[in-house]
Formats: sequence, C-alpha cells, structure tokens
Amino acid sequence: MPFVILVAWRYLTSNLGQTLLLVLGVALSVVIFVFMTALIAGLATYLTAETTSRIAHVEIEAPNTIARVLQPDDRFAAQPVSTVKRKQIRNWQQVVDLASTLDGVVSISPAVDGNGFLVRGEAVEPVALRGLEVDAIDAVAPISANTIEGTADLSAGGLVIGADLAESLSLHAGMPVLLRSDRGRERLIPITGIFRIGLSSLDERVAFLSISAARPLFDLPEGVTSIAIRLTDPASAPQAARILRNATDLKVTPWQERNRSLETALESQGRTGTIIQAFAMIAIVISIASTLLLSTYRRRSEIGIMRAAGIGRGFVATVFVLQGVMIGLAASLIGAALGYRLAMLLGSIQRSDGRVLLPIEPAQGGYVLVITLTVAAAALAAILPARAASRVDPVETIQQ
Amino acid sequence: MSPGDDPRLVTARGIVKTFRSGDEETEVLKALDLEIPRGRMIALLGPSGSGKSTLLNILGLLMRPTAGDLVFLGERMGELSDDRLAQFRNRHLGFVFQYHHLLPDFTATENVAFPAAAPAGRLTADIRARAHLLLDRVGLTPRRDFRATQLSGGQKQRVAIARALINLPDLVLADEPTGNLDRESSRQVMALLRDINRRDGATFLISTHDDEIAAFCDQRVHIVDGKIVPSD
Repeated sequence: MPFVILVAWRYLTSNLGQTLLLVLGVALSVVIFVFMTALIAGLATYLTAETTSRIAHVEIEAPNTIARVLQPDDRFAAQPVSTVKRKQIRNWQQVVDLASTLDGVVSISPAVDGNGFLVRGEAVEPVALRGLEVDAIDAVAPISANTIEGTADLSAGGLVIGADLAESLSLHAGMPVLLRSDRGRERLIPITGIFRIGLSSLDERVAFLSISAARPLFDLPEGVTSIAIRLTDPASAPQAARILRNATDLKVTPWQERNRSLETALESQGRTGTIIQAFAMIAIVISIASTLLLSTYRRRSEIGIMRAAGIGRGFVATVFVLQGVMIGLAASLIGAALGYRLAMLLGSIQRSDGRVLLPIEPAQGGYVLVITLTVAAAALAAILPARAASRVDPVETIQQ
Repeated sequence: MSPGDDPRLVTARGIVKTFRSGDEETEVLKALDLEIPRGRMIALLGPSGSGKSTLLNILGLLMRPTAGDLVFLGERMGELSDDRLAQFRNRHLGFVFQYHHLLPDFTATENVAFPAAAPAGRLTADIRARAHLLLDRVGLTPRRDFRATQLSGGQKQRVAIARALINLPDLVLADEPTGNLDRESSRQVMALLRDINRRDGATFLISTHDDEIAAFCDQRVHIVDGKIVPSD
C-alpha cells in the first residue's frame, strides 16, 4: 500500500467514532440527494405518463389555409365571398398509410371533430363531438375500461358521453338526447354509454360517436378533421411529428407542444431539485472541511515532525486530500445504498385507493452522479485543510 | 577536494538571526562562526536564551538565517529553495528533540521508517529491515510492533533516535534529547548516542545545559549571548 494512503487511513481510523459520525453526516446528505433525484424522476415519469395516457401523442390537422383574395383585374373576379376554407384532411387515407410506416405507432385514429350542443328539455350543454371509427374509441383514451354505464360501442349509432356531462343533463344510457351541431344540423340520438376517466376535459365536455354518424352533422362527406396517433414511446412524438410534417403540408403537433405547462412544471421541479442537491453538496463540503481543519490543528506537532524530517508539503497535503476522498467514497456508497433502500420503501407504500403514495423511481437516484460529485466535493473540501497542513511551520510546532 | 573528502561537514560564517516582534527587533545570533567536523560528537552548551535552539534550527535547515553563510557538504544552503532544503534535510540530517514527537497512531517500526518510506512512496521490505535493525540497536526489538502510545517515555525517545538515523544522516542534531527523561534513562540514551557515533561514524551536535550529558561528548562548544565563545 502506498505510504501516503497508509498515513491517511491511520489518521481516519485513529478516531473511529468521529470519522463514523462524519461519514454518517455526509451519507445523510447523499441520501437526500438520491431521494430527491429519484422523486423528481419519478414525478416526471408519473406526470408525463398520466398526461400521455389519455391524449394523442401526435395530432394531425388541416392547416389554416387562407383563400387567395382575388385581385380586381382577375378575369372572373366579382367579390371575395369567403376568405377561410373549411378545415379538413381530404387525403386522410394516404396520411394514415404514411403514419402506419413510422416506428412505434400503436394506433392511428382519424376523426371528424366539431362542436355542438346537447339539448334536453330546456337544458343545453356545449359538447365537443368526436366522430371516430367504430373500433377506435380506445385509440386515444381508455374509454371502454372506464365506462360506468351502458357500453362504449359506437357501432350502435349512439353517443358515448362523459359522466359529468351526463349528470348535468340527468342522462342515462338508453335515453335519447337532441344533438345540435355547430353547422345547424340536429338529430335525436340515444346515449349508448357513459364513462368516467378522471380527466375533467373529457368527463365534462366530450361525446363520442361513430364517424359515419358525425359526417352528416358536420357536412363532411369525405374528409376528416384530424388524425390522432399514439406511440409506444411518447418521448419520440416530436421526431414522428417532424417526419410527418416534412412529408405532408398538414399541421402536425406533438403532444409536448400542446402541454407546455407540463414541460414548464417539470423544468421548475427539476430546478428545485437541483437547488436541493446543491445545498446537499454544500453541506458535505462544510462538514468535511471543518472536521479535517480540526484534525489539522490537532495534528500540528505530528505534521511539524514530518516537515522537520524533510517530508515534502505535497505528501502532507495528499494525506489530507486522501482523507477527504476516503470519507467521500465511503459516505457516498453508504448514502447511495441507504437512499436506494429509502426510495424503495417509500415507493412501495400505497394509498387506500391502491395508488402509490410517492411516485419514486429508485433506479433513477443518480447514483453514479452522486458518488462522483460527493467524492469530488470531499476532495475539494479537503483542499483547505490540506493547504493549512502543508504550511505548518515545523519550528513553531516542535517548540510548543 | 570533493565534499566527501572535506573534513568539515558544516561551515557557518557570520550567522545572524534577528527576530522581530512589532517594532522591536531581537538579535539572537550575532555573527556566529562554527565548523562541525565529520564524525565528532559535539556538545553545544549554553544557558537558556543563549541561542542554542535557534542555532540548531538554522543548522537543521528549519530556519533561514537573517545573514551569513551556511555551507553543508560543500553546498551553500542559502541558495536552495524550501523544497530543496526539505529534500536536503531528509537525506543528510536527523533530529532528536526534547519531546519525542512520535506519531501516536503508528507502530515503533512505522515511526522509525516514515522519513524513508514517505519519500520512497512505500514502506518497502528494505526500509522495514533497516528500521528493525535500528530498533534492535536501541534495544526495542520486542516492542517494534507496539504503537507509540504503548511505549514508556524512555522507549519513545529511543524510537525517536532510531527515526533520526533511518536515512543514515551525515549530521544528527539533538536539542536537549534527555530533557524529559529521568537520570537513568538520560544516561542510557546518551550512551546509545555515543555508541552510534563510535560505531557508525555519525556526527552529533547535542544541545544541552547539563555537564553530565556533555561529558558523553568528545568536544564542547559554548554559546553565550548569540556567539560561540572559546572553551576553558
């Protein structure tokens, strides 16, 4: 064993109680670091999964095309009647075929969307209508699994509506309701099923129907208004959107662009975590530096005799830096192990509804990062004591 | 004549050492001249405050003189950097202090070996063997694996002597080496130093104010008020 390591090790083990207390204190900071990293990663995963489980990962729509305003000298010019064309994707089947060639596509769901009203007696409720292919009701959100009344079968030609919307109109499965589209079309249509998915935007406002039932309501005999795509990896949505955008002239939006607030929240959460991690590192530096400075003072006469015997400043400084590194290494390994155990324990606690109390991801505790940072911080913390030790004047200490 | 052939181990010329405390300056050594021949065992005698320890610190390269020349083995010490002085100390000088200054967490062998092991990087078998030999010389073979804290005062001082000899120094400087020992232990330590001087040819400069200790030496040098004065 190199002699300098032997000296550092002896110094550390000579006062085992003090060293263990220091290692424990540093390890606790490491536990906080690991726990916070695992919690932030878990929360990010949980919130992202919660968001992406009920929405389209890539949404394709017709672009907002403005009709060219005819110039006065145009031959057939009379006067511009309308400047806005009806938004629709006419070649939707080709787009669906193109999207199906992408990697990781789970489902592709063309839809005829529009707004309307459900009218029952004197009660009127606005509703977002989604006309889907009959087997595609679960393509974006798990409607079937969350149907609490009736069925989610669109082939029956009825409406599948959110529970909150049903409550506001006192509707139940099997009851008819008057549906009025924003195109002024009306139809008496039965309620086939009622769902509650836990997302207020769906439960309060959305009604599903078959695409064939939706076409006459919105005067759209051929095209669709949107195509929703779900992917195995929601994180790959921007890449998929870019491919589709480049291949078509359509408006293609990944889910991240529609959920900027989630991204902002996750970034803020990440920054908060970074601040806590930085404070944990500062605590490590202060505790190691103060203990080693004390040790430097206590061992002044020993350092003095080393210097008198011609041992270089570098050797003396290395003894103290090595002590810092050893403390950092031991504490980070212990802290990482304890942090993992704590994350596993707290991550396994379930609430009464069966969901986990804290969405922690123990595997994402940043173990390599925390071990590297702790050892580096410990070495950094030891520099001041090492410098002080290397500057001990042998004459002064030997005569004391 | 090569430095090895020069009978003078150390030559000090016009050594001045002044200490400053606020506006007040105290001249402890006053243009002191001294030659230390090889192989001698010299007692440096003088009353308290005469400058014995300061002279030993300067000769031991632990302190730079305010003025004057110090030549050691033909090399002018004033021209060396602090790091080179430390290397020179390690290779050519040994120290025995009034207090042993052993490393309490290390065994007697490790304490003896460390001035050689630290520059070498490892406690090699060769260094360990040398340490054992020296511990044998000072009569501590049975205690060589004891920690410093497990040794008596006299034993600790004998370990300190062995430590001073580990790098086969040209000069051993001993500052009141028996100051903390009882009369019997003092005699044993001095007999040991004289034996090492006779058998190994190591040069000793021993600071003391005790005539009985000085009697073990073959030359006496008196320092009074910062100057070497002729012996009676």
